[in-house]
Amino acid sequence: MGMWMRGHGVEEADKLDRAATVHVVRRTADQLRPQRWAVLGALLVSLVWTACSLAGPWLVRNAIDHGIRKGHAYVLDRDVMIYVVVALAQYASQRSQIMVLARVGERWLRSLRLDVFAHLQALSMPFYDREKAGVIVSRMTSDIDSLAELIQMGILRFASQGLLVTASLVMLIALSWQLSIVVFAVLPFVLLASAKFKRDSNRAYLDVRDNIGLTLSGLQEGIAGVRVVQAFAREPVQIDRFAVTNRSLLDAHLRSTWIQSWYIPVVEYAQHMTMAGTVGLGGLLVHRGSISIGTVAAFVLLLNNLFEPLQQLTQLLNTLQSAAASLSKLYQLLDTPVDVVEPSSPVALPDRGDVRVEGVSFAYAGGRPVLQDVDLVIHPGERLALVGPTGAGKSTLAKLVARLYDVTEGRVTFGGVDVRDASTAALRQRIVVVPQEGFLFNGTILDNIRMARAGATEQEVWDALRDIGVLSRFEALPEGLQTEVQERGSRFSAGEKQLVSLARAALVDPAVLVLDEATSSLDPGTELLVEHALERLMEGRTVIVIAHRLSTAERADRVGVVADGHLVELGTHAELVAAGGRYAALFGAWAGGVGAPST
Amino acid sequence: MRRQWWGIAIGMFMGVVWTAGKIAIPRFVGRAIDRGVDGGDGRSLRINTILILGIGLASAVCAGARRYNAFREARVIEANLRNRLFAHLQGLHFGFHDRAHTGDLMSRANTDLQSIEILFSSLPMSFANVMSLVGATVIMFLLNWQLAALSLVSLPLVNVVAKHFSKVLHPQVLGIQQESAQLATVVEEAVSGVRVVKGFGAETVLAARLAVEAEDVYEASIGAARVRASHAPALELLPNLGLVTVLFVGGHQVLDGRMSLGDLVAFNVYLVLLIGPLRMLGDMLAQFQRAVAAAGRVHEILVSDPEITEPHGARPLAAGAGEVRFDGVRFGYHDRQPVIDGLDLTIEAGTSVALVGSTGSGKTTLARLLPRFYDVSAGRVLIDGHDVSTVRLQDLRRAVATVFEETFLFSDTIAANIAFADPDAGEDAIERAARQAGAAEFIDTLPDGYATMTGERGFSLSGGQRQRIAIARAVLADPRVLILDDATSAVDPTKEHEIRDSLGEVMRGRTTIVIAHRPATIALADRVVLLDQGRIVADGTHDSLLATSERYREVLAAAARRDEELQAEAT
Repeated sequence: MGMWMRGHGVEEADKLDRAATVHVVRRTADQLRPQRWAVLGALLVSLVWTACSLAGPWLVRNAIDHGIRKGHAYVLDRDVMIYVVVALAQYASQRSQIMVLARVGERWLRSLRLDVFAHLQALSMPFYDREKAGVIVSRMTSDIDSLAELIQMGILRFASQGLLVTASLVMLIALSWQLSIVVFAVLPFVLLASAKFKRDSNRAYLDVRDNIGLTLSGLQEGIAGVRVVQAFAREPVQIDRFAVTNRSLLDAHLRSTWIQSWYIPVVEYAQHMTMAGTVGLGGLLVHRGSISIGTVAAFVLLLNNLFEPLQQLTQLLNTLQSAAASLSKLYQLLDTPVDVVEPSSPVALPDRGDVRVEGVSFAYAGGRPVLQDVDLVIHPGERLALVGPTGAGKSTLAKLVARLYDVTEGRVTFGGVDVRDASTAALRQRIVVVPQEGFLFNGTILDNIRMARAGATEQEVWDALRDIGVLSRFEALPEGLQTEVQERGSRFSAGEKQLVSLARAALVDPAVLVLDEATSSLDPGTELLVEHALERLMEGRTVIVIAHRLSTAERADRVGVVADGHLVELGTHAELVAAGGRYAALFGAWAGGVGAPST
Repeated sequence: MRRQWWGIAIGMFMGVVWTAGKIAIPRFVGRAIDRGVDGGDGRSLRINTILILGIGLASAVCAGARRYNAFREARVIEANLRNRLFAHLQGLHFGFHDRAHTGDLMSRANTDLQSIEILFSSLPMSFANVMSLVGATVIMFLLNWQLAALSLVSLPLVNVVAKHFSKVLHPQVLGIQQESAQLATVVEEAVSGVRVVKGFGAETVLAARLAVEAEDVYEASIGAARVRASHAPALELLPNLGLVTVLFVGGHQVLDGRMSLGDLVAFNVYLVLLIGPLRMLGDMLAQFQRAVAAAGRVHEILVSDPEITEPHGARPLAAGAGEVRFDGVRFGYHDRQPVIDGLDLTIEAGTSVALVGSTGSGKTTLARLLPRFYDVSAGRVLIDGHDVSTVRLQDLRRAVATVFEETFLFSDTIAANIAFADPDAGEDAIERAARQAGAAEFIDTLPDGYATMTGERGFSLSGGQRQRIAIARAVLADPRVLILDDATSAVDPTKEHEIRDSLGEVMRGRTTIVIAHRPATIALADRVVLLDQGRIVADGTHDSLLATSERYREVLAAAARRDEELQAEAT
């Protein structure tokens, strides 16, 4: 999409006020502190470059005034030699300016990427429940990309053009304050036009961007839905509809073109006007003897350094503003507090132990309680099934044990240690959560399994696979464990993904397993294998399963029924059926085959 | 396109005026300095000053007009091409779309058209650049041919460097984009797989992976910077060397009295004028090459002919009751082994037939031959006695409505999706169709009812709900023949009976081809045809086939096993 747009824009709502801008600038300066010498170097070479760019017209003036006009050939020769040196210095300084700025900028971006990602990883589940995945991803993609673009294209030009404009103005005044009046007479109009241009082009940019989105989704839909369109012989209507969207994009483009088309000539004419003014007024001043003819010639050359850079600066301002908005969003993300905090001095966890839930309540920040006053003891090697309606809190309870969330009240302990006192890394070696659906990352199957224990050897992975009896299944893959997962494993069945998930857990060899039972069915070929693997995995471990099938509950050692945020029933399957409570009712309905309880 | 060429021609003209102005102004500046300032001629100073103002105005106005004209025409060309491409894609046969990738088609309609747009929008500019090159060169030769010849030694190098710059920078920029995309993939995985990451404590693994990608992006960006560093400064240095040569040689000529000072100043300005166009033309040449490649890719689609076309003088489809006949039909995808292998079948008007068979038996393919989504390789398909390949395609497809296995809903309201076949259908008709398809109940519970938006960016509906809207869409078309291609597959087995009742109503008195694997749905049909490897292996009622055909029982049993698994999941 990038190529469709030229320039940049920022939404009204994202525009930063003065205080926010100061904050962003200050913080960025802080971040650049480790690179301050490189930044200083970049500034220095920029200065050299600008000085060299400006020296050219000076030298020309000097050569004309003191060399050619006065008939001193040696002055001309000397100035020419200096000019050659200056040109080479300009070449060298520009070269190093590009490299130094790129190094500083890209290094900063790299550390920003790592910091933001690390913070994202540190943020706990409540954050991910709250924010939309697309928005989170866009922080790391479009927001950082807009900064990258600024660094690759903009900041260099912004810095050098800004310097050039400022230095040119200073030199113009230094050359002749009388002649500079011409420039200062025209400049206000240029600035006014630039301000209008900046505002209009920002709006036009946003308009074009929205229309591109609509056109792309129209295209996408036309291609993806072409079979339905043809089946109902609706091609003409669809073509007309697309033409309307396309037309509206064209109109947006034309509006944006128009804005560019008036602005550039205005600046160009301003330059011609100052040129005419310089010559006209300059002539009079020379006649009166106030200035030299060389000054007029130098003035004419310097004017080239003024207006075009000014026009580019205006266009860059929108880019700068949108980058500042992105940066501000990134800093806000970095400032989002981490809910699940690492203890400063972690306590070691025993290898095995009871899981105790003591007087636990949980509520999302500012929300109503999801769980209230839950007490529960799970002994080593015991299997507990949690059942209850969707949203009653059974999966929250299970995840509190693994400290995916922190309790609001009470505490959860493993082997007598509060889970909040252990390091997350240690806790994940004892308590593992196996999610409902197997999720594959890009990379090999081996990488996918090993992500649960980064240091594991390939042999350990093979052993883990053998332990849960799925070795042959993985050996049968086209390239064994080296088989590449592409497009999030679209070539693997849900069952195979689940096997990878179980293999990860087996590799960790935890004391406690938290299982979120799958609700969707697996392919017939793998379902049995998954069941066997799961059975082997659960052997000898404490298991908390969030059950969606009552058959699973029936097989557990004990069953806990969670309803409305409370643990309302707890006991063996037989006890609960005999007690005639909620569980008995659920089970009765299910066993009767009338329907499926929605657990 | 002719109008656009006119616009571009006007743009070129404007560009030439603009260029002429740009070239003329330094000339007048030089004169003003020579005669007005140096020579002390006040009248000449005034005249030249006024001329600069006047010519500057004309030049600036033309600059704007050139720009607007160029971009307008280029955008119009781009938009027209996109319309043509879209229209052409809509007309291309199923076979084409089976083979094409959506992403590839999208990039042709997007980035490729963009390259073409850039080319056209830069035409007037390129033309003006060539003109100013020629003009400035001529004037420079007229002013002082020795100096001109001297400066023309170094300047063409600017063009060479600029072209090389654009050529080597482009792949670098693509490289950055590619690396950034890989980084984005890791982020996306980390966010959508956050449950796995947290559950297994895999944060460090992902952080390490991201570090690798961030390093790659860094390296790619530095690589691009290196290319910029090795080219951009040279583009400044070369003209500077030209300038200094002119100053040196020209300066001595002035000292020797062979040239005026004004001419030297003007000469310098022309030299500066040449630099921009030389640089831009180099860049333009590289862009031109990209645009040609892009145009080739767009052209490739525009020249692929739709394979399903109506013959010249195709007849309207005469009214009829909906009798369908397959007569010695053979068909295979891309001429490989036949999927339908010499099949004869007649479906009497107003009756329903269930096509049953294992995967790959040809049941879906057979149903797709009737509305001519594909053409038979041998034999004929007839509707009410008319060969489908001889009647108007529009009529045929209006007469046959298909509910696809994979439902596709458009980003529009539910009402518009149901009224797809007939956008003028009234509310009554839409609601009736929804009721018949068993969709009315859940639509009524939606916050916006029939005005609820669906599709990619709309309300997310369950598979079964989407399927029912698709059925309503077919019902509203009131077709002569209805094809239900596994239309209940996405529907929860426990809820299927709700749709089954309405399907019965939809099928009553209408020729219907049902592709199904659940006995209860099959039983809705008057007749069952069992297909195996493109041939009919059994034909009768559900009950009679159950009693007589071993293969039929096998196929149903296999389907039932799969369903049971689904059933277990529902509980």
